[in-house]
Amino acid sequence: MENFEPVIVAFVCNWCTYTAADLAGTSRLSYPKNVRLIRVMCTGMVDPQYVIKALLEGADGVLVSGCHPGDCHYINGNYKARRRIKLLKEILPQFGFEPERLRLTWIGASDGIQFAEIMRELVTELKELGPSQAKLKMVV
Amino acid sequence: MQTKIGKALVIGGGIGGIRSALDLAEFGYGVTLIERTPHIGGILSQLDYQFPTNRCGMCKMLPLVERDASSQFCLRKGLFHENIDIRLSTELASVEGEPGQFKVTLRQEKNPVNPELCIGCGKCVEVCPVDTADAFNAGLSTRKAIYLPVPHNIPNTYRIDTGVCTQCGACQDACPTGAIQLLDEGRITFNILVVDDELIVRDSLKEWLEVEGGFQVSMAESGPEALEHIKTHGCQLMLLDIKMPGMDGVEVLQKAKELFPDLPVVMMTAYATVETAVEAMKIGALDYLIKPFDPDALIPKVIQIYQNLSTPVGPELEVGAIVMSGGTSYYNPAEGKDTYGYGSLPDVVTSIEFERLLSGTGPSGGKLVRPSDGRPITRIAWLQCIGSRDTQSDADFCSTICCMYAIKEAMVARERAARDGAQLDTSIYYMDMRTFGKSFQRYRDRSEASGVAFKRGRVHSVVPDPSGEDLQLRWVATDGTVATDHADLVVLSVGQRPAEGAQALTDMLGIERNPWGFVQTEAFSLTRTARTGIVASGAFAGLKDISESVIQASAAALAASQTIHGAGGSIGLKDCPKTIYDDVARQLPRILVAICTCNNAVTKGLDQAALVHRLQNDPAVKQVHFLDHTCTAEGWQQLEDLIKKHRPNRVLIGACLPYVYTRKLKQLGRDVALDPRLMEVVDIRSASLQPEASDNPTAAGIERILTMGIARLRHASPNPVPTVPVFQRALVVGGGIAGMTAALSIADHGFEVDLIEQSDQLGGNLHWLHHLIDGQEIEPLLTETRDRVNHHPQIDVHLTTRIVAAFGQAGTFYSTIEDGDGQARQLTHGAAILATGGSEAATTAYGFGNSDRIITQKMLEAQLHDGAIDPKALKTVVMIQCVDSREEPRNYCSRVCCPTTLKHALALKNANPDLRIVVFYRDMMATGFMETYFTQARKAGVTFIPYTLDGKPEVAVGATGDQRLMVTAHEPFLDRPVEISADRVVLATGIVPSLPQDLVQAYGVDQDEDAFFQEAESKWRPVDALKEGVFACGICHSPRNIGESIATAEAAAERALRIIASERVASGSIIAGVHESLCALCERCIEACPYDARMLDPDGERIVVNPVMCQGCGACAAVCPNDAAYVEGFDADQVMEVIDAALN
Repeated sequence: MENFEPVIVAFVCNWCTYTAADLAGTSRLSYPKNVRLIRVMCTGMVDPQYVIKALLEGADGVLVSGCHPGDCHYINGNYKARRRIKLLKEILPQFGFEPERLRLTWIGASDGIQFAEIMRELVTELKELGPSQAKLKMVV
Repeated sequence: MQTKIGKALVIGGGIGGIRSALDLAEFGYGVTLIERTPHIGGILSQLDYQFPTNRCGMCKMLPLVERDASSQFCLRKGLFHENIDIRLSTELASVEGEPGQFKVTLRQEKNPVNPELCIGCGKCVEVCPVDTADAFNAGLSTRKAIYLPVPHNIPNTYRIDTGVCTQCGACQDACPTGAIQLLDEGRITFNILVVDDELIVRDSLKEWLEVEGGFQVSMAESGPEALEHIKTHGCQLMLLDIKMPGMDGVEVLQKAKELFPDLPVVMMTAYATVETAVEAMKIGALDYLIKPFDPDALIPKVIQIYQNLSTPVGPELEVGAIVMSGGTSYYNPAEGKDTYGYGSLPDVVTSIEFERLLSGTGPSGGKLVRPSDGRPITRIAWLQCIGSRDTQSDADFCSTICCMYAIKEAMVARERAARDGAQLDTSIYYMDMRTFGKSFQRYRDRSEASGVAFKRGRVHSVVPDPSGEDLQLRWVATDGTVATDHADLVVLSVGQRPAEGAQALTDMLGIERNPWGFVQTEAFSLTRTARTGIVASGAFAGLKDISESVIQASAAALAASQTIHGAGGSIGLKDCPKTIYDDVARQLPRILVAICTCNNAVTKGLDQAALVHRLQNDPAVKQVHFLDHTCTAEGWQQLEDLIKKHRPNRVLIGACLPYVYTRKLKQLGRDVALDPRLMEVVDIRSASLQPEASDNPTAAGIERILTMGIARLRHASPNPVPTVPVFQRALVVGGGIAGMTAALSIADHGFEVDLIEQSDQLGGNLHWLHHLIDGQEIEPLLTETRDRVNHHPQIDVHLTTRIVAAFGQAGTFYSTIEDGDGQARQLTHGAAILATGGSEAATTAYGFGNSDRIITQKMLEAQLHDGAIDPKALKTVVMIQCVDSREEPRNYCSRVCCPTTLKHALALKNANPDLRIVVFYRDMMATGFMETYFTQARKAGVTFIPYTLDGKPEVAVGATGDQRLMVTAHEPFLDRPVEISADRVVLATGIVPSLPQDLVQAYGVDQDEDAFFQEAESKWRPVDALKEGVFACGICHSPRNIGESIATAEAAAERALRIIASERVASGSIIAGVHESLCALCERCIEACPYDARMLDPDGERIVVNPVMCQGCGACAAVCPNDAAYVEGFDADQVMEVIDAALN
């Protein structure tokens, strides 16, 4: 368990968080590279099936991250994501996942440092939680 | 993208310049956007947060239609547009010619770092020994002499600050690609002649310039000797002392200029003779230096002069119009006499420094810590009007932005503290809180409710507290009490000043400046100058916030466009290169993978053969190649050759910094006839920088990123981008000055316009307004505009007509109009502009209606004009501001009332200097240059008494025969009640919009809570409705004066022109669609769409998407239970496969 490195799938929006991630990279900020970025246009397009798919395929955690409230390029996509993630967290246990494996954050385009911090935080939390057991239990 | 032959030059790459350039480019003109600094974004590259969202949102300025022509990512990172040629570090060198045919020459600053070769690895920074103040962080942190100007900008090539570089050569040795060429051969042969009678000055200058500057220096101790020297030896630059015995510097300058008219001369002067130096500049001196010299300042300046002189000018361009968008600069409190310890107390900062403290890319990474000792900040004080409303700092104007940014900074700081669980006190010390814009007052109220303290008064001094813990502020409140407050950070809300270089630019262009150094525009116009074809955009003409700058920028684009169109620029290019891509829609994916090894830095230790083998397990991957540097021209050529040789129908490039390739891919697509949507760059370099915990980290990371890219590309759609037909005609509702201006602006471009007016005459509010505060007559404006409208062949005026119904979408609207006889007919148009105006609000407050001596400002205007009121017969007039305004339910400032009150007060005082005028006000909204009239009114003896909402003045009508009016109020300075017997009480009731709800609904747009037009975004899309194709201007949009209304009208016209400019308008490639076979017609997607782009087609029983309104956000796809709604490029199958690849 000590060497457990959680795998995180992050759905990041094209306008804010993807830019922040790029900034973290170009600023050479150190953050754990456990995260696999999947760029979407808006967090509002993240279908719940993507999150569940990622967890079922073995991700130890899923991050959905977009623009701050009021900042969405598409007016209100991030609010839609917020509602959806809240519901998803309710039903994740039925799939055998701890709700903590899913996280929603807002990271603005110039928050490269915050992006790195959240990645570190997430890795620490997931390390405490341990590897996702779901894939072992479920037949998919 | 439609392309026309017209060209424009936009000077300045700030928010205004970007808006003007995008508007002109979207209309189809070619735009050259030049920017003095090495990055675009202007001041906004330093500001992360804007009210009212307290966030950013700049990306919303990007095109909504024809999206593929421009970059589709964060605008703070950068901008591309097919029709815009952005040239950084470039200035205007000269201009010749006439409107429509200007010949301009540009000068690009050269830098020792070659952007073609720089790969942004940052090795140079690690070895640079020089530390200097980082201008990006407003001097709060340091950087090296080689640096990135803005950390998140692209292109992100490093550059050398030649002013501070010691030319030690360390970076040159460290650079892996040989991008740095430090040695400037030119300097060794650049001969500077130092002329000064004092030996010590000559000697020290010679030493500094030779040793530290690397120049060749000669000396002369007198004027005659200097002249002899230049005759025999010549020189390239003369540093010339003014005060010398015998022949003085000015005389030497004159004689030298007779001999060599082009000789650059820089005067050297003591502080006492600066005026002489300024005079010398008028007879040809380039600049002046003030003694005693500071080598740290002197050498960079000489280097700068050298660079300007040695940089070859060019290229020369022909443009139809020039848009000046140089922005503004900000008052430097260190220059003032009373600086509140700025410069000596590190915890006294300017507002721009504070913005950097808040920023995630700032010196503290966004943590609220004191600059002095890094301890958390607990109490912040904002001091308003630093360098504004201050005749001592030559600023008899209000900078208009500081009140709102101070409130915003306080709000953002409080949010930040709340996030970190910290306590934070925030106080704003002010004279008047000028919350004059739409929604500003409610924002202020919100901040007050959240705990921001507003303290009215003047701060006298800021000194360190004797305890050494924090700062002490002594201030005087309005009641005269002196108090001492504490703060550990003091923010000086600095005002605006003319942009650096504004003087030189306007001189070169022959444009007048106003008394404060901003561009002087024509009467009733915020953009047009005395020279046709040269217009001012953004804040260059002075004192504007983002929203007004953006409006002004679109208006400037319109003015420029009129000139270009007039010169024939709207003709489409005959040989417009229309790219035909290979049709690969029916082919199976054949992917070529190109991997940049970054000179083996990325792929070190990688088993290349094994990687190729594994990638080629995927049958879609046909070729895998390794290239050394795809970012260099050579590497790119190799890639192009590979594509031409193998003819793949998908290309994946594994490299770094995918953003940089956006534009290159477009060009590559044209060169190899492959749609750039079928090519993608993925970042493999990040994976190689930090290994993960697995056996072969780099290989696994790189391979995963590549397979994710392959998964995306496999599903990439080559479908053509949909277009919609456009009915190239516009409809304007409302025949006031805004509506008429909008109609003329569009009609002048050759498009037909229907102008609908419900009354029987054009002109609206201009009928009862007679002159401006500066004396400008309004009647000629009305007559001239109305005549132009009535005689314009492209404008159909419909009087006594109203809109009864409308429907449609961008490109095609159908509006039903009904005339006075009840005859209805339908009009078809591509865009609609609402300009329905507004009127003075009715009131029953302060006894209005009880006496004919209680009147409104509008009535006063009429009575002054028709002589019903005789100022000489009056003794006392009381004026009351903010009647029913700035409190619920009409909680907004009408913006025009304070200037109107000042106008009438001054007119009355002018007619009868003995007349007593008392103005009761809450905050005098004398914004911008209007402040000077506030000053004049006070000088003329008008009394201004502030009141608060809980202490409003009361007006009683006397019961006795003469029925005198009695005004009672609390006088805060005296702290006692006062009674004023008045002949007239004049109420400023403000503006209410007349924007009928059914009209708004007919066009599918919204009203705000005060029944004004709801713009899509107050800052970034200020005249657009959320629904594309509908725009608004004038006072149905927001309260504003005539000039400002005209600016919104021009802006709305420019925005409408983008749409009706072409016969068909395209959307973007990322766009929603419907798999009809899967669709159950549940209509959830219709509800989810924020742009109203989806609707049910009842005939076909299917959901249709308007491609121009859809922005591709994917909200529909996420709610669709059957995966019937999808977004091109983000199909569910595709995302699922990418997830698989990510977890393999």
